[in-house]
Amino acid sequence: MLIGGLLIIVAGLMAFFPSLNDSDTTVDWISLPLVGFPIIVSCILMAFASQESRARKEVIAVPIRLFTLVASLIPLAISTALFFDWLIMVDWDLAYNEYALEKEYVWIETIGVSWHVGMDGLSFPMVWLTTFLVPITIITTWDEKDGATYHPLLLMMGGALIGVFVALDLFLFYVFWELTLIPMFFLILKWGGKDRRYAAQKFFIYTFCASVIMLLGLITLYFLQPEGSGAQYGTVTGRTFDMTVLFSNATAYNMGDNVFLGEDMQNVLFAMLMIGFLVKLPAVPFHTWLPDAHVQAPTGGSMLLAGVMLKMGAYGMLRIPIAIFPDAVVYYQDVIMAIGLISLVWGAIVCLGQTNLKKMVAYSSVSHMGVILLGIASMQPIGYAAALFMMFAHGIISPMLFAVCGAFKHHYHSMEIGAMRGMAKWSPYLAVYMMFAWMASLGLPLLAGFVAELMVMIAFWPEYGWWILLPGAVLAITAAYYLWSMQRTIFEGGDEGQPPESLNGETPPDITLTENIGMIILAIFTVIFGIFPFIALGMMDQWTVAFFEGVFNLGGI
Amino acid sequence: MSEVTMVHGEDEFDLPTVVEVFSTDFWKAFAPETILICGLLLIFIIPNLGNSKFRIPLTKVRVPWFLGGKRFKVTGSPAIPGILATGTLFTALGMMAIEAIDGNMDTTAVMSNGIVILQMDNFSRFFEILFLAAVLLASMASLDRIPAHTFEGKKSLEEMYDNRRQADFYILMLTTAIGMCIVALAQDLFVLFVGLELASLATYVLVGFHKESKAGAESGVKYFIVGSVASGVGLYGLSLLYLEFGSLQLHTIAANWADSTILGTIALGLVLVGFGFKVSAAPFHFAAPDAYAGANSPVAGVLATASKAMGMIGLIRVLLVIALPEAGADESAIWLYTLATLSVITMTWGNVAALGSTNPKRMLAYSSVAHAGYMLAALTAVGAWKWGEVEAPGDYAEAIVAAVLFHLFVLVAFKLGAFLVLGLLEMEGGASRLSALSGLARRDPLIGTAMFIFMLALAGVPPLAGFMSKFLVIAGIVSTSVGELWMNGTVSFSEIHWVWWLALAMFINSAISVFYYLRIGVVMFLDVPEEGRRKPLPYGASIRMAIWICLVATILLGLSGDTLIDMCYRAADSLNLA
Repeated sequence: MLIGGLLIIVAGLMAFFPSLNDSDTTVDWISLPLVGFPIIVSCILMAFASQESRARKEVIAVPIRLFTLVASLIPLAISTALFFDWLIMVDWDLAYNEYALEKEYVWIETIGVSWHVGMDGLSFPMVWLTTFLVPITIITTWDEKDGATYHPLLLMMGGALIGVFVALDLFLFYVFWELTLIPMFFLILKWGGKDRRYAAQKFFIYTFCASVIMLLGLITLYFLQPEGSGAQYGTVTGRTFDMTVLFSNATAYNMGDNVFLGEDMQNVLFAMLMIGFLVKLPAVPFHTWLPDAHVQAPTGGSMLLAGVMLKMGAYGMLRIPIAIFPDAVVYYQDVIMAIGLISLVWGAIVCLGQTNLKKMVAYSSVSHMGVILLGIASMQPIGYAAALFMMFAHGIISPMLFAVCGAFKHHYHSMEIGAMRGMAKWSPYLAVYMMFAWMASLGLPLLAGFVAELMVMIAFWPEYGWWILLPGAVLAITAAYYLWSMQRTIFEGGDEGQPPESLNGETPPDITLTENIGMIILAIFTVIFGIFPFIALGMMDQWTVAFFEGVFNLGGI
Repeated sequence: MSEVTMVHGEDEFDLPTVVEVFSTDFWKAFAPETILICGLLLIFIIPNLGNSKFRIPLTKVRVPWFLGGKRFKVTGSPAIPGILATGTLFTALGMMAIEAIDGNMDTTAVMSNGIVILQMDNFSRFFEILFLAAVLLASMASLDRIPAHTFEGKKSLEEMYDNRRQADFYILMLTTAIGMCIVALAQDLFVLFVGLELASLATYVLVGFHKESKAGAESGVKYFIVGSVASGVGLYGLSLLYLEFGSLQLHTIAANWADSTILGTIALGLVLVGFGFKVSAAPFHFAAPDAYAGANSPVAGVLATASKAMGMIGLIRVLLVIALPEAGADESAIWLYTLATLSVITMTWGNVAALGSTNPKRMLAYSSVAHAGYMLAALTAVGAWKWGEVEAPGDYAEAIVAAVLFHLFVLVAFKLGAFLVLGLLEMEGGASRLSALSGLARRDPLIGTAMFIFMLALAGVPPLAGFMSKFLVIAGIVSTSVGELWMNGTVSFSEIHWVWWLALAMFINSAISVFYYLRIGVVMFLDVPEEGRRKPLPYGASIRMAIWICLVATILLGLSGDTLIDMCYRAADSLNLA
């Protein structure tokens, strides 16, 4: 019955979107398989589970979990296959403003909104990362209570996140941008810690406030576009939300053929859009929602939040404001650099003072997101490639950090660094993963994080010279707080160790099998991308070169 | 020029077909309204059918007369008025919707002695559909909210109360609908006021309908007093307008507006007070929270949606049809700064007051004040354009008016929907505390989710209808402020008209509003149900159906609003702005 309902809905959706181009008969690998399928499946599962009594819910949780896991593996299989050309030949060698697997359907004719999706070197790594993280998250938090709705929510989250990355229409982008808030709101609200009510609302309101300012920027930008005619243009407004049209207009302007916007207008719009993305990233003056959300969120929520959701901010910056207003980037270069540096330094210093393990990891995310801003501010192709790789590497490492924190909380019922001594004795596996994740995050060579940090440093030097000492020093601070927290929790405590008081004298257990599986996969991929970064970096380099040619009118990396 | 002007331009402006009152064409054009009146009469007659006989004087012949006497069992059933009213509204609404959705309406004007009384066009039809939809949903919900009980068995006092007032309630409902329809159709300010008063008087009674509860009577009286003062001020303004122009015909006043003296402006200001009360704009909104909190939830829903739309018609007619500068005149409307200030005050006041209110109905009332502020901001933007500079100013005005219409229409879906959910809660006790909602998502996941979706729609979260409407309103404001600057070459920020800041104010306000909308969600999903509310919700088939209709409309109009947007554009087009 479930499958039948699914088929009906899928068929209905297909009929719902008339294709812009009837002659295009290629298969749409994005809309339904990657975006629609997870969201629809999760909605059906949750609706199904909501009708059951509490006792029945526990019984059906297991099949629903399994079903969710299988459903989340399908997008992973598809995105992996797309990368290796197993399904179809995909030409990833794209020029600027060209997209692979592009599809466009008319959505709201009157104002020029279309369901336009496609992927390029910027979005594909993020899409793959999301499809990869969702099953990992499901596996790692297999035992979460009320799994009949918890795991479908994770799946829904994945679908909405992929929607953000594949959207090539500003309206569609914004719809998915906000849609990601809803599953995360519920994940924090229903499965969060003690202060979850506060954290969930703060998370939602903070990001919503920022994104409405971004939306105003987008609407203003929309009406400043020249009117045109064509299938993408609104029948009433004469403008279009299509990003590709926007980019080609912007490129035409930047090449000097056309007059587009005055300098102050560009700067204002750039700032409005950046506010939305900086809050999501988060950069320092706007970061206060993150520690609250992370500390209160359940493990799975934190993993997706840190792994992918923060990258929405960096992705959005590179996708929209920087691509459209390259002059404003030059104008704001020092500001972006300053925000990046402050995030980096502030995040790291605050980490040193944390006694809560998860809060420390959350602030380390702030610090690492500062690195991305530095890469962007460097205005070097290698800096942009580094920012992309940082997004990707942090997307693998930070879920592992949070998985460790989650396991710690799960088995020790405490997040205090000071409460535990000699964990290596009681929980050798957890200790190993913790050590590994911490090392990866502080940028140990041969692990994924190192590559990105090194590249950012290389890009930073020609622009800002000896200022490089500051991020350099921060990397030392990073090493300090990670090593210090490790030393306190894993080692010390003499031969017997010192289990936390929250266990009431019971022997601390080691992590469960599913946590083990999830973390070992993450660890393996951290190593793979540390040793062979070019698997992902090749595509990113290629995108960066095209981006610099198209946007800044420069070539070469 | 884009296709826009081709489709919605002034070129297609067709002159109305003029019909006399009570001619054949009149009945053809006004069939749905006639059905409403027939339905009203039936509710008067049918419950009173009985076995009474009439004795012809001076004879002993008794003729059966059927009105009065011992009532027949079938027709005298207390359930009859509700069914009749709902059926009537449904039929009329269906006729209108079929006519309006598939294309342009013919414009029909009703003349009498050289005065245009009513005019049927896309604009009025659009509003009639809105009104009937709101009243229909409310009366569907009332079938369960104020249920009719059969005569068998012993009745509690409350059940007897419920039975006694069935006919009264639905008569008032239908009267409200008819009054509102007259407002939509009126082409003469006097007729418009008559319709407004007809609807208002009916709603005053509906608000105080629960006379056995203290809050009900109090709110009814409060609403009545404030409302009558506002109407009085408005009527005074009308008399001044008549003094100035010698006519209350919309087109006459509009044609002579440019040469009017200061008296015309003062009169306009006074008329606006009357309408400002109806849309609950600050500072005339004080009665709204009390009225909504004391009224039955479905009735409060009608007040927050249809009644507000009725006031909006007045504002559109007076501000946009009468008091806009002539096309080609290089000036902005005189009311521009006043309305801009009022709109910002209204939206901010509404949102800030809603932050502090723990009664969900008062909260929804304040949120409806805030929504009034958004719509006033949109109307301000219409007046902001310096009309001399553009070739086709009508496009911008139309876009904004269409957005306002869209907003008013979708409010019926989610605001009324939210009130109906509260109505469902009222069936098992009050819904005047936030804790009444606690644990709703656990007690009834579907209703809880529906309520949460209504809240998200009110906050303007995509892809729901509320987002779409707010988006269109803001897009309208921004498009006016930006205008056709792109044609001049390089656009600098200082060239953008200051109404752009109204869009920013709207966005900041909707960010504030998220806080209290989310609070409802948090309470429903996180808190434990309070004592005495552990059982499942009462069933109530028709109220639930009304909620589902609202829910489906909220989602569908957000996902694909093209048909409705087109309808709104046709309606705005038939105003023939500038």
